[in-house]
Amino acid sequence: MSKIEINNLTVDYTEKKNRFTALKNVSFSIEDGEFVSVIGSSGCGKSTLLSILEGINTPTAGEILINGEPIRGTGTDRGVVFQHYSLFPWMTARKNVAFGIKQVNKDASRTERLKIADEFLEKVGLEGFKNKYPSQLSGGMQQRVAIARALAMDTDIRTILQELLLELWEGDGTSARKTVVFVTHDIDEAILLSDKIVMMTANPGQVYSEIKVPFDRPRNRAELVQTQEYNQFRNKLLAMFYSDIVSKIGGDEVVL
Amino acid sequence: MTFKKRYLRLVHLLFIVLLLIQLLPDKLSGDTYAQYVVWFAVGVEILTLIVSSFIKKPIGLTLFVDIVSFIYGLLIAWTLATAKFNLLKPALFPPPGRVFWQLIGDYEKIITNIFSSVGIILQGYLLAAAAAIILGLLLGSSERLGNVATYISKFLGAIPPIVYIPYGIALLPTFRSVSVFVIFLATFWPVLAGTMSGVMNVDKKTIDSAKVLNVGKITMLFSVILPASLQQIFIGCNQGLTVSFVLLTSAEMIGAQSGLGYYIKNYSDLGDYTRTLVGLIVIGIVIVVISFVFNKIQKYLLRWKH
Repeated sequence: MSKIEINNLTVDYTEKKNRFTALKNVSFSIEDGEFVSVIGSSGCGKSTLLSILEGINTPTAGEILINGEPIRGTGTDRGVVFQHYSLFPWMTARKNVAFGIKQVNKDASRTERLKIADEFLEKVGLEGFKNKYPSQLSGGMQQRVAIARALAMDTDIRTILQELLLELWEGDGTSARKTVVFVTHDIDEAILLSDKIVMMTANPGQVYSEIKVPFDRPRNRAELVQTQEYNQFRNKLLAMFYSDIVSKIGGDEVVL
Repeated sequence: MTFKKRYLRLVHLLFIVLLLIQLLPDKLSGDTYAQYVVWFAVGVEILTLIVSSFIKKPIGLTLFVDIVSFIYGLLIAWTLATAKFNLLKPALFPPPGRVFWQLIGDYEKIITNIFSSVGIILQGYLLAAAAAIILGLLLGSSERLGNVATYISKFLGAIPPIVYIPYGIALLPTFRSVSVFVIFLATFWPVLAGTMSGVMNVDKKTIDSAKVLNVGKITMLFSVILPASLQQIFIGCNQGLTVSFVLLTSAEMIGAQSGLGYYIKNYSDLGDYTRTLVGLIVIGIVIVVISFVFNKIQKYLLRWKH
């Protein structure tokens, strides 16, 4: 049994009386401890897929099973790091992390929560910024705070959007790896991080192809990008990515 | 800042001019209490020198010094036009010394009236703000209720609260309770409207971020939605505060037996324009101080916004 199974997921939106299909018959599965990237051009339904995984939206048809159980609403079994606005702007970095801890661990006292928050902020290298508000932090720092919060909540599956996580995720190889669904439109990032890449196409959002990433771990970005295998693999992916667009537009005069 | 920038300012010249004109002979009969002007000016000058020595930003010092210059300039013109050349009707325009003397003489009465007015404002305002924020949070959380409540509060809020005074007098036992009631109404509607508009416009991403953390309903309301709509709430609170002062002083002039509005109305009816001016100055100071405190609170609670 796979950790996450996505079965024939279809999502329709109704907007001003117009129906449109954001996702159509999307199916793939993710093994325990696997790092899967979902890539595709904008409008391919990546965010919709993510919102269903998070439990914010419900599908029109089909289902997602986690450990064989269908998803029902949001849950603390899934840690989520949004691309934007994931932090509460009125809380300092450590309060944001502590607030997350409070939701999963109601018994911890305020000082305990703050102590755990400080530990995790230190792990992502932000010990000097713990009393800053999100508006005082750069975008990358905000993401790291969000990651610290997801890590501190000690949940099982992570949907994440940050390259920094490679290091955190691969770790020293002694502890069990978390299952990750990573949504991006950056091919290099996807190759570097993933065990498997799910490529999607737009209108309606469908799975175009599933590709295993053949490189050994731990990976080193600087070394990897210089190898011929990497470049061949990347070109193959790019060709797929754009062949989809070209076939959609239907002409050969498309400038990319 | 250099010594020159700190201390060589026009304001000190104005201070000396203000002292020197006190030496001119009085044209006005009776005591003009010039010594009170001198004491006041010396006090302000000492404060100015202290601020000049310690302030760090040149822009801040210039602003402070310009305000003090305005006060000195006003006192110079006022002294010359009244006590020294008697250009205006003495009954309507008392010299500044007399106003300061009266202010100090009426000290106890004024404090009592300040407490009376500020007490009414605080009571009506805080009750209204608390009720409106809680109700606004609850109503705003439901789209349907929020929409209908927005229109109803627009209608009820559009009625100038002062027209409730006659009805309030018939309805309530004391004039004080009428004042509290009117201030309550003046504050309640704008704060309710601000809160609901804030709650209904909270970024969906903020709500979603909270949802994926699995926060409970009460935490969602008070730890997420409330702070996220705080800026809009403050817009309503600001509006309520401004209207409250106007209303209270008007109400006090209609029928109260205490308060700053009553103080002014009472003494102008008796033809005592020195005390009328004292009342005007005190009301100005009280409102400036309350607005200052209010702005500090607002700035503190919204400190996370840049």
